[in-house]
Amino acid sequence: MLSMEWAWLIPAISFVAFPVIVALRRAAPIVSALVAIMAILGGFVVFWLVTVDRIDHGATGIDFFSYRWFDVGAVQLTWGIIVDPLTIVMLGLVTFVSLMVQVYSLGYMKGDPRFGWYFALHSLFAASMLTVVLADNFLLLYIAWELVGLCSYLLIGFWYELRSATEAAKKAFITTRIADVALLTGILLLFKEVGTFSMQETFHQAELLMLGEPSALSSTTATASALLLFVGAMGKSAQFPFHVWLPDAMEGPTPVSALIHAATMVVAGVFLVARTFTLFEAVPNVLVIVAIVGLATTLIAATMALVVTDLKRILAYSTISHLGLMMLSLGAFGYTAAVFHLMAHGFSKALLFLGAGSVMHGANQTDIRKMGGLIKVMPFTAILFGIGALSLGGVPIFAGFWSKDEILISVLDHRHPIFTVLLLVAVFLSALYMARAYFITFLGDLKDENRTAHEASNTMLIPMILLGILALTFGFMALEWTNEYSGIGSFLYKHKPHGFEFNVALGIGSIAIAIGAFILAWLIYRAKVISIEGLKQRLNPLISVIEHKYYLDEIYQWTIDRVILVFSSFVAYFDRTAVNDIAVDGPADSIKRSAFNLRYHVTGLMQNYALGMIIGAIGVAVAWWAVAVYG
Amino acid sequence: MITLAHFQIVSAALFAVGLYGVLARRSAVLILMSIELMLNAVNLNLIAVSSYVESSVFSGLIIAIFVITVAAAEVGLALAIVLRLFRNRASVNVDEIDLMKW
Amino acid sequence: MIWFFFIVLSVFTVGGGLGVVATRNVVHAALFLLLSLLGVAGLYVLLASTFLALVQIFIYGGAIVIVLLFAIMLTRSREYPHISDNRQWPIAGIGALAFFGMLVVAFRVNNPVAQVRHHVEFTDLGRSLFTEWALPFEIASILLLVALVGAVVIAREGGRRG
Repeated sequence: MLSMEWAWLIPAISFVAFPVIVALRRAAPIVSALVAIMAILGGFVVFWLVTVDRIDHGATGIDFFSYRWFDVGAVQLTWGIIVDPLTIVMLGLVTFVSLMVQVYSLGYMKGDPRFGWYFALHSLFAASMLTVVLADNFLLLYIAWELVGLCSYLLIGFWYELRSATEAAKKAFITTRIADVALLTGILLLFKEVGTFSMQETFHQAELLMLGEPSALSSTTATASALLLFVGAMGKSAQFPFHVWLPDAMEGPTPVSALIHAATMVVAGVFLVARTFTLFEAVPNVLVIVAIVGLATTLIAATMALVVTDLKRILAYSTISHLGLMMLSLGAFGYTAAVFHLMAHGFSKALLFLGAGSVMHGANQTDIRKMGGLIKVMPFTAILFGIGALSLGGVPIFAGFWSKDEILISVLDHRHPIFTVLLLVAVFLSALYMARAYFITFLGDLKDENRTAHEASNTMLIPMILLGILALTFGFMALEWTNEYSGIGSFLYKHKPHGFEFNVALGIGSIAIAIGAFILAWLIYRAKVISIEGLKQRLNPLISVIEHKYYLDEIYQWTIDRVILVFSSFVAYFDRTAVNDIAVDGPADSIKRSAFNLRYHVTGLMQNYALGMIIGAIGVAVAWWAVAVYG
Repeated sequence: MITLAHFQIVSAALFAVGLYGVLARRSAVLILMSIELMLNAVNLNLIAVSSYVESSVFSGLIIAIFVITVAAAEVGLALAIVLRLFRNRASVNVDEIDLMKW
Repeated sequence: MIWFFFIVLSVFTVGGGLGVVATRNVVHAALFLLLSLLGVAGLYVLLASTFLALVQIFIYGGAIVIVLLFAIMLTRSREYPHISDNRQWPIAGIGALAFFGMLVVAFRVNNPVAQVRHHVEFTDLGRSLFTEWALPFEIASILLLVALVGAVVIAREGGRRG
């Protein structure tokens, strides 16, 4: 029906919607919101048409459509799109979750004075993220990457009257910007070696390198650029130690957190590594680093999720932890598993955030210590939140279980056993903190001030329900269904399709760990059999370090104050004195001053001038004579 | 033998003396006198050259006559200006006339 | 014989000039000028142009010095008759000496060796003045007229129609 090459329409519709909404935002806010929703709905429809066409032309194929953009000297710059399984699944994820969140925002952001601008930013963000997903050359990817960062900044600081929000937006932008320097360096390095920004060409060279044939990339340059690209990915996907911005980003509106900081923007880094996986496979040592970073992130974030008391921050650390999980999977050659978990997590985390938003809307709280027993007043929210929690905790039939299992298998197959062991520890912790959050918030006694809390409105509930359905059922996409579709591994794979594997021991083990964690959480937080105070006392030093976020913020601030700002003030001083005062003002000043002093020779006395003329005449005569005599 | 060079040296000396007077004296009338000295020196030079060259060409002589004429006219005018100056400032000190300066 | 007259006249000339530029008394300066001019007239006689010597004595020695003395009388300042020198007189002296040196060098370089002084017939001079040089002659008379009128206008009392 619609050829694949029209896939660029998906971001284009939202890009066009952006200025329209900006123009309408104050005059007709509801219309602006509807324009945004229509744009993303249109994108969703086009996505389906593109998927059908992709399947028609060989579901697992990869197609590049490049168009000439402009030339700079000898370099030809193009813009274009890729349509392959990775793109398809990402398009689906981004358009669907964006649609859900925008519908949810109709209810959540009702009455906000900048209602229209909010939806304008949503459109811009959706357009940029979709461009990141579709881009077929690194330049376009980088441009869209930065645009996504900009939208994140604007949306985190949406309520800019709050000091905490502006500080958080600055922190997010600056942290990711530092990582983006590495990304840009990596892109430029690749451009220098390969001669073009085109991904197709770059991957071709990477494949040649992998096969040992002569290639434009040497092993060193490929390693360097892969590492640089990964650092860029670390920034956006909040890997340790770049994760510090994500918890603070919770200052933004909750639907924003659901969309950007759970399902779409933060996965851009994971997506980047997946997209350029050919390059990483050519230098497998980098993948070890990817795996280590991912594992460290998972564990550290999981420990922090256990001690924070703000509901959104628990979810933020959970996101960081799962992003680390995805990176770990990629580092263990688990391409399919990583992308599958990306989607499952996307749906489930978005659901959880929307649920948290519903709680905040209803009970006006974010601190879980002030909540409890909310299931009695918000039953739907509680059930849907429970679905999300179970999914991410790794309970079977929910989506999260299947993807986590795939990851476990990849890690077991390709990495040292210690990775698997630590991963299982992380699985335990993730189940534990999810259960903790759920039990404290929704179960137990209802506090008096929360008695008037109300359930969410329909515009907020329906997206949550749809996401809940997906969180429940998406896992089955991993299995075989028909002759043509034998599991996600046959659609989305690297090198060869594989059907669904199930390692029985690992599967039963992970289920047992999850159940064990739930039981432990029950004992601590519900039945109060194990005393939380006693635990706290015994583990106090450790808990204190975790509560201070491992003092990372303090270390960063110290570095900025003592290292960067010192250097900056030196540079500023150099610029002020050497460049400005001496080099620029210097000649002008010296001329002015010398002119100022020279003017005194105009005395106004005729005899002085006459003397000057005489001396000049003598001088000319002498010169003339000298030339005549000496030639 | 008195050659042309002798006369010319005298003329040069007179010119230099007049030059010094123009540059170093303070009163306008004295500057004028020094200018007269210089003009005389020039005249002397002209006449000397004209005399030592053959007599059919005597343009030097004629020019010297004209120089004297012009010098006379100039002295008249210059002294008129000096008088005007004196009337305005009660002094003919050229050191005080320095309005066209920085 | 000629040498004697030449030396004496040169001394009068240059010495008179030095007197003009060196003396403190302005009236003495005018008298030294007269001496110098008369010396020049004598030198003209030595150069066999008697007509010009006469013209010199009449115009310079007669008219111009008189006019100068009148000007001195009319512009008497407080310090009369004493006048002082400029502040730049050392450098002026050096400059003048340098100029003199330059001129000497220039004259010696050319060094014509002519020895005979020619006399120009008075009638030839007169004829030439009214034929060949008639136009400059007329213009000179106009110049004198202009100078006369100009001097009257500038030196006028009052200041109406400046």
